[in-house]
Amino acid sequence: MTVTTLNTDTISPAAVTAIGERFREPTWLRQAREAAWETFTATPWPTYTEETWRRTRLTGFDLADFTLATEPVPAVSSRRQLPRKMSANLRKMDSGGALVFQDASLIYAELDPELAVRGVIFTDLRTALVEHEELVRTYLGAQVLAADNKFAALHYALWQNGTFLYVPRHVTVEKPFQVLIQLSPGKAAFHHSLIIAEENSELTIAEDYLGAARGMSDTVVELYPLAAARLHYLHLQNLDTTAWNFATMRSSVYRDALYRHLQASWGSRLSKVWIDLNLEEPGSHGELLGLYFPQGRQHIDHHTNQNHKRPRGTSDLLFKGALDDASRSVYQGIIRVWPHAQKTDAYQKNDNLLLSEQARADSIPGLEIQADDVRCTHGATSAKVQDEYVFYLMARGLSRKTAKRMIVSGFFEEVLNRVPVPGVRHKLEAEIARRVGLE
Amino acid sequence: MTAVLEVKDLHVSVGDNEILKGVSLTVRQGEVHALMGPNGSGKSTMAYAIAGHPHYQVTSGDILFNGQSILDLEPDERAKLGIFLAFQYPVAIPGVSFANFLRAAVSSVRGYKDRARAEVAQGGKREIGSELMPMREFRKELLAKMDRFNVDRSFAQRYLNDGFSGGEKKRGEVLQMAMLEPKIAILDESDSGLDIDALRVVADGINKLVADGMGALLITHYQRILNYVKPDKVSIFYKGRVVLTGGPELAHVLEEKGYGWVEKELAVEPA
Ligand SMILES: Nc1ncnc2c1ncn2[C@@H]1O[C@H](COP(=O)(O)OP(=O)(O)OP(=O)(O)O)[C@@H](O)[C@H]1O
Ligand SMILES: [Mg+2]
Repeated sequence: MTVTTLNTDTISPAAVTAIGERFREPTWLRQAREAAWETFTATPWPTYTEETWRRTRLTGFDLADFTLATEPVPAVSSRRQLPRKMSANLRKMDSGGALVFQDASLIYAELDPELAVRGVIFTDLRTALVEHEELVRTYLGAQVLAADNKFAALHYALWQNGTFLYVPRHVTVEKPFQVLIQLSPGKAAFHHSLIIAEENSELTIAEDYLGAARGMSDTVVELYPLAAARLHYLHLQNLDTTAWNFATMRSSVYRDALYRHLQASWGSRLSKVWIDLNLEEPGSHGELLGLYFPQGRQHIDHHTNQNHKRPRGTSDLLFKGALDDASRSVYQGIIRVWPHAQKTDAYQKNDNLLLSEQARADSIPGLEIQADDVRCTHGATSAKVQDEYVFYLMARGLSRKTAKRMIVSGFFEEVLNRVPVPGVRHKLEAEIARRVGLE
Repeated sequence: MTAVLEVKDLHVSVGDNEILKGVSLTVRQGEVHALMGPNGSGKSTMAYAIAGHPHYQVTSGDILFNGQSILDLEPDERAKLGIFLAFQYPVAIPGVSFANFLRAAVSSVRGYKDRARAEVAQGGKREIGSELMPMREFRKELLAKMDRFNVDRSFAQRYLNDGFSGGEKKRGEVLQMAMLEPKIAILDESDSGLDIDALRVVADGINKLVADGMGALLITHYQRILNYVKPDKVSIFYKGRVVLTGGPELAHVLEEKGYGWVEKELAVEPA
């Protein structure tokens, strides 16, 4: 591990070179960085004339406002040495392994030794690059490309570290892995997650993003559930409400494999999140669940893509959001069924609950079907809390506030009861309760 | 003290539409007061007004509970006084479990919440769950009452009225009433849409609670339930008013002669 620091903290071509040098990266990676920077500069900033950016404006966003993490943060060897908030957060889940990042530094790691013996690799991307370069080279950037969008390009030019999880063939890991990513104020962070579930393996991983006050997080998550694997990914975005958040996440699902994604978008002033599900081979399954609950002037934008490329795939999407104050949400989702992807069964639903007159939820579902023997259903709803519900509960003795809280929690229940990890479910419930407001 | 609910010359409007035109009636703890009247005559409107529904504006008259006006009270405050409304059409609230909701309701009505608040206000520590009736006690009582009032135990885990059949909803209302132990209950057509077994169950529940001291205003279209629940008084509701009050025999007369008789006999002017 190198301990030198980065000699520039600005988002610039110099930083691209400096990162490669600081970590003595292999040539292929340095070249990828340079190419990504080229792509970044060649790609215009999004404008609202593009369909995907029509409802989300980057007013007030300026890369010059952020700096890169330059100093390594020293690691600790036990949970007790972590800041209390972090160790308390880790305790909420019974996990098979945990990683804690402070910006680009891995500051704490643990892995059930039995899992290590069975060939599970759970470490930071830096370490993986040194110890398992071929694996990283095979999977890094193969799913989400720099050319995907301007933020993905910037990410590939400037990422410094991330999560690496590899579960070998036929290995089932019961307990979830957990990752905390704590970001410092004012920084630009580019965490990269690479998660590989080999043939017929099973894993669950929950990543929790925290902090980044007045900063930005530009994340890429690449997920590989290979044949007959079962991969559960839970993305908990708990960033500060002054953070800018961009994330591109993509999963390629292979023959008879299952991918389940949970997206909880709680924080950030503005979030632009792309979640793509590619059903690459016959008989693959995907489930996408989403929760959001913006308040104040938060703006949360999700794009989903259920891409059915081969026959007999199923996908099931449910995104639910409650919106308070003058917040806004955008949901754009498309189900694409390619020619020959017969016997596709795809479902997509977005429900919004408006808690204030000023809140606004836009929902744009879409279908693009090129096969004939398919079943595709989609729908979107947007409603206020019904007075009749509130009255019924109040007539039974509940205060107005408790009544509303119950109705909102009940609204999310349909997603919550599908969350596979009890520890995560409790975290989500607590977050919803906090937002609805204890009296 | 016997609680008394008095409705006095009550006028209620929805928007510009006056629906109640001077209703007066009294319900006492321990007695059953049956209220019969044609569709659209305003029975549910009166029930909602008593429970404090915000869409129903009281333009004049009063509603007194033990001599005190309750018009300024929120619906939950009325519930805490001991007024209960069994809805004609209970709403389904998805995702809210029957048991969780009922525990919160019972805790509020029985004062757990107010006591916990008062303690915190006096410098006590705010303890998690202190605003709720202890789980074990609650469960024990709920299960006992489910058995006593013939409600299937699976209700507890289901979402509130969500996917309930008409009959299940009405049983659910009776179970809630049994748990909340009101002094005065307004039962808005708790007998409609029930098969004969369910009707017995609901009637039996009402009788048990009345025997325990509850007063009931029983809104119904049919003599049928009055075979099981013996009213002390019967009132006839017509075009936004109570036009006649008498003993149990009045229900039979009405059943025989119909509302045309009311109009002629009582010379109620058509609206
Ligand atoms: N929220 C409302 N908005 C508009 N009109 C209403 C509302 N509630 C009641 N009304 C009107 O008031 C009148 C009385 O209705 P109400 O439901 O009180 O009658 P009811 O006696 O309970 O009838 P039923 O026997 O059919 O239950 C009806 O004409 C009804 O349409
Ligand atoms: Mg009615």
